[in-house]
Amino acid sequence: AELRVSHQWSEGDVRHKVAQMVADEVAAADVDLDIRIFPSESLFKAREQYKPLSRGQVDMIVFPLSYAGGLRNAYNLTLMPGLVKNHDHAARLNESEFMAEIEAILNEDNIMTLVPGYLAGGFAGTEECITKPEDVAGKQMRAAGKAFEQMLAGAGASIASMSSAELYNAMQTGVLDAANTSSSSFVSYRIYEQVACFTPAGDYALWFMYQPLLMNKSTFDGLNEEQQTALMEAAEKATAFYLEEAKKEDGEARDTFAENGVEIAEMTEEEFDAWRQIAQETAYQAFLDGSEDGQKLLDMALSVE
Amino acid sequence: MSGPSPATSSAPHGGNIVLRAIGLLSQIAGVVSALLIVASVAVTCQMIFIRFVLNGSTIWQTEGVTYMMIAATMLGLPYVQFLRGHVNVDLLPLMLPPGARRVLAFVVMACTLGIAGLMLWHGYHFWHEAWDWGETSNSPWNPKLWVPYLALPLGFGLYALQIAADFYAMSREIEEPFGLAPDARLTPEGAE
Amino acid sequence: MDPLTLGSLVALATIGVLFSGISVAAGLLVVSAGFILIFDGASSLSLMPEVFFGKLDNFALLSIPMFIIMGAAISSTRAGADLYEALERWLTRIPGGLVVSNLGACALFSAMSGSSPATCAAIGKMGIPEMRKRGYPDAVAAGSIAAGGTLGILIPPSVTMIVYGIATETSIGRLFLAGVVPGILLVALFMLWSLYSTWKSGNAQVLQAGNYSWRERIEILPRVLPFLAIIVGVLYAMYGGIATPSETAAVGALLCLLIAMVIYSMWSPRAIWTVLRDSTKESVMILFIIGAAGVFSYMLSSLFITQSIAAWIGDLEVNRWVLMAMINLFLLVTGFFLPPVAVILMAAPILLPIITTAGFDPIWFAVVLTINMEIGLISPPVGLNLYVINGIAPDIKLKTILMGSLPYVACMVVAIVLLCLFPGLALWLPDLVMGDAP
Ligand code: NA
Ligand code: NA
Repeated sequence: AELRVSHQWSEGDVRHKVAQMVADEVAAADVDLDIRIFPSESLFKAREQYKPLSRGQVDMIVFPLSYAGGLRNAYNLTLMPGLVKNHDHAARLNESEFMAEIEAILNEDNIMTLVPGYLAGGFAGTEECITKPEDVAGKQMRAAGKAFEQMLAGAGASIASMSSAELYNAMQTGVLDAANTSSSSFVSYRIYEQVACFTPAGDYALWFMYQPLLMNKSTFDGLNEEQQTALMEAAEKATAFYLEEAKKEDGEARDTFAENGVEIAEMTEEEFDAWRQIAQETAYQAFLDGSEDGQKLLDMALSVE
Repeated sequence: MSGPSPATSSAPHGGNIVLRAIGLLSQIAGVVSALLIVASVAVTCQMIFIRFVLNGSTIWQTEGVTYMMIAATMLGLPYVQFLRGHVNVDLLPLMLPPGARRVLAFVVMACTLGIAGLMLWHGYHFWHEAWDWGETSNSPWNPKLWVPYLALPLGFGLYALQIAADFYAMSREIEEPFGLAPDARLTPEGAE
Repeated sequence: MDPLTLGSLVALATIGVLFSGISVAAGLLVVSAGFILIFDGASSLSLMPEVFFGKLDNFALLSIPMFIIMGAAISSTRAGADLYEALERWLTRIPGGLVVSNLGACALFSAMSGSSPATCAAIGKMGIPEMRKRGYPDAVAAGSIAAGGTLGILIPPSVTMIVYGIATETSIGRLFLAGVVPGILLVALFMLWSLYSTWKSGNAQVLQAGNYSWRERIEILPRVLPFLAIIVGVLYAMYGGIATPSETAAVGALLCLLIAMVIYSMWSPRAIWTVLRDSTKESVMILFIIGAAGVFSYMLSSLFITQSIAAWIGDLEVNRWVLMAMINLFLLVTGFFLPPVAVILMAAPILLPIITTAGFDPIWFAVVLTINMEIGLISPPVGLNLYVINGIAPDIKLKTILMGSLPYVACMVVAIVLLCLFPGLALWLPDLVMGDAP
C-alpha cells in the first residue's frame, strides 16, 4: 500500500524530517507500506489540508492544528499565548487529559494523531527589543496566529496582515517594525539580516504552536496489524526525535541571530506574566466567546503542571 | 489564428429573447466584477493610508481584498465569455473544413459546459460544507467562509449559463463555429 | 503506471485539448478532471473547486488587475502619443530617429504597464501611422512596435513576473529589479538593429526626418511629467517602506486613473468604463488561467509527475548549459502556442527544482524565461502583439509584421545568450538595492 503525506515546509525543515523518519522506519520494517511525502505545499496549501485529510483524500499531514481553528474552535488552544511555558511542559501537556479531549475532537473528524509536537518561537524588532507589552505599543507588527495578534493589539500594537513570505521585505523597507513567529521561520526567512534585536524562546516563552503529524483514521484502521504496529513504532521514535529537535531549534535560532550581530534579549518572569495578563483579557476571552465548553478545555489545559 | 481579438466583439443573440436575457445577466455580472476591482483599489489604498499615515491596525483589508478579487474573477467569467475574451489556440479549427469544424466546435462547447457544470456542482458542495459548519477563516477578522465561497457556484453557474446560450446560438447558426469566418484558414493571409 | 509515462500521456492530452480551440483555462480544467478521475478516483474531483479557490486565495494576485489598469488607463489617453512625440523631437537628428524614439517610448511606457499588448497599443496607435507616413518600410514600422511592446513584461511592473513570483515564492520586488538592466539591454539591441536596418535601406526620405526647433523641444517636456510622476510615485511606494509590492500596484492604478481623469480629462463615464471593461476582461482571463493552472499542477503533483520529471532530469547528468539550452527550447516552443501566464504556471513548478539543483539562480532564470515569453508574443500562432498591430494597422499583412519582427527575435536570443554569459546583468541591480538574496 502507499500512503501520502502533505506538509508546507521545505525538505530541510524539522517537520519534514519527522515525516521522513516515519517513512524510513516504516520502510525498514518491510511491511509492504510505502510512504510518499509531498513537501512545500506541493499538494495542498498549508491551511487547506485539514478537510482533505478528514475525507481521506490525503492520508497524513504535518499540520499546525490551529489552522483549523475556524472549523473547530478548540484547536485555537493549541496556539494560545502563555499556555505552554517550555518544551518539557509541552511534552507533559501532550500526555494530559486536555490533549485527550483534542484527540477526541480529531477522531470525530475521522483523524488521529501519530506524532505530537510543539515548536516555539519568539519576537524580533527592527530597531528595539521586544520583551514586555509596553515594547510593542505603536509598532506595526505581524504575528503568526490569531490569538497572538489579539494579544499584541491589546498591548497597543498595530496589526498588519501579510503572508510570512512578505516578512523579510516588509521588515527591510520598514513597513513592519516587529514580528512574532516560529524560530525556524525566523531563520529560514533570514530575518536576522533585517532586525536589531531578537527575543528567542528561552526560560519564558509565549509562542508555542502544536504541529502534529496527523493521519486519516479510516486509512489507519484499514491497514493490517503488522503495518499498524510498524507505523506506531515509527511514530514513537519520531515523537522523541521531534521533541529533541524542537529544543535544538530555539538554540540554533539564538546562535544564528547572535552570529549575525543581532542583539539577543531575554523575557523575564514578570514580563511573561504581564503578557499573559493581556492575553487573558484579549485572546483567551475571544476564544471563550467562540464556544460553550471553551472554559472547561481552557481549565484543563491550564491545570497541566 | 487566435488570441482574444483586439476589437470588441460579443455574443450575438439573433433576436432571441432568452439569449438576450442571458447576455444581459453576464453583462451585469461583468459590471459587478469591474466594480469589485475598483473597490479593491480603494480598499488597498485605504489600508496603506491607515497603516502608513495613521499607524493604525489593518485587520480586514488584505483578506477582504483577496476575497473581492476572487469574486471579481468568478463573476467576470460569464462576462469575459460574453465578450469572447477567454484566450484559446484555434490551430486545429482553422485546419478543418467547415463541416468538421462545426462538429469540433460542438465537442469543445460540450466539454466547456461539462467542466463548468462539474465546478458548479462541487463548488456548491464546497460552499454548502462551509455554510453547514459555520466555518470561519480564523484570522483576527474571522469572517464566515461561506460568503467568499459563494463566488464559486455563482460564477461557474453564470459561466455555464452563458456557454449554454452560446451553444444554442451556434446550433441555430446565429453564430459561426469558434466565431470564425467560414473561409478563415491557417495561412497568414487568411487571417486578414 | 510509471509517472514518466503518465507524464507523457498528460503532455499529449494537454496539447490535443488545447489545440482543439477550447479556451486555455477550460482546457486545463478538462485535462485535470480527466486524469484525476482516472487515476485518483471520482471522489478526488470534489477537490477541484477547493484547489481552484486556494490558488486564487492570494493577496499578491491583486497586483495583476492593478498593473493592467495602470496600462489601460494611460493608454486610453494621449499620454502615449505625448511620450512618443517628445522623444521624436529630441531624436530626429539620428538617422532612423523615428524608430528609435518609438522603441524608447515603448520602453518608458513599459515602466508603467504590466502587460505587453497594452504597451504595444499605446505606442503603436501613434507610432505606426507616423513611421509609415515618413516612408519607413511597413516591416520596420510594425516589427519595431510589436517587439518594443514585449518589453511590457520585462521592464517592471510586469504581470508575468508577479505570476512567477507567486508560483515560485520568490520576492516580487527582487524580480522587478532584475528586469531593469536586461530591459535596457534589449532596448539598446532593438535600437541598434533599427538604426542599422534603416541605414542599410538607404532611404533618403527616412534619413531626413522632421526638424524641430529648440523651442519645440523644450515645449513638449512638461507633457512627459505625468509619466515621471507615476513612475517615481510607484517606485517610491515600493522601495521606500510605504507598501509591499502587491499593495503598490493599487497605488499605481489609483495614480494612473487620477492622472487620466484630471490631466487628460478622461471624465466621460463611457471612457472610464472602456478602461475598466478592458482591464476586467484581461484580468479575469488571466486569473481564470491561474486558478485552472493551479488545479492542473495539483493533478501533476498528485500523480507524482512533477516530482518524477524533476528527478529524471536531475539524473540525466548533462552539462548544465546543455540543460539550460534544452529548457530554453522547451519554453520557446510552448511560448509559441500558449500565453505567458499559462506557460509560467505550468512550467515553473517542474522547472524550478531542476534550475536550482543545476545551480542557476531563480531570479536570473525569471528574466530568461520572460524573454522567451516575449518571443512568444511576437511569434505565430498565438502572438498577442501581432494581433494588436493587426488591429491598429489592418492593411499591413500579418506576414509583413512577422517578417519585420524576426530580426528583433534574433535580438532577444542574443540577449538570452548575453544573460547566460553575464548573469550579473540580471542580478546586479536587485542585489544592489535589496542586499544579497535571502
Ligand atoms: Na512593465
Ligand atoms: Na506565440
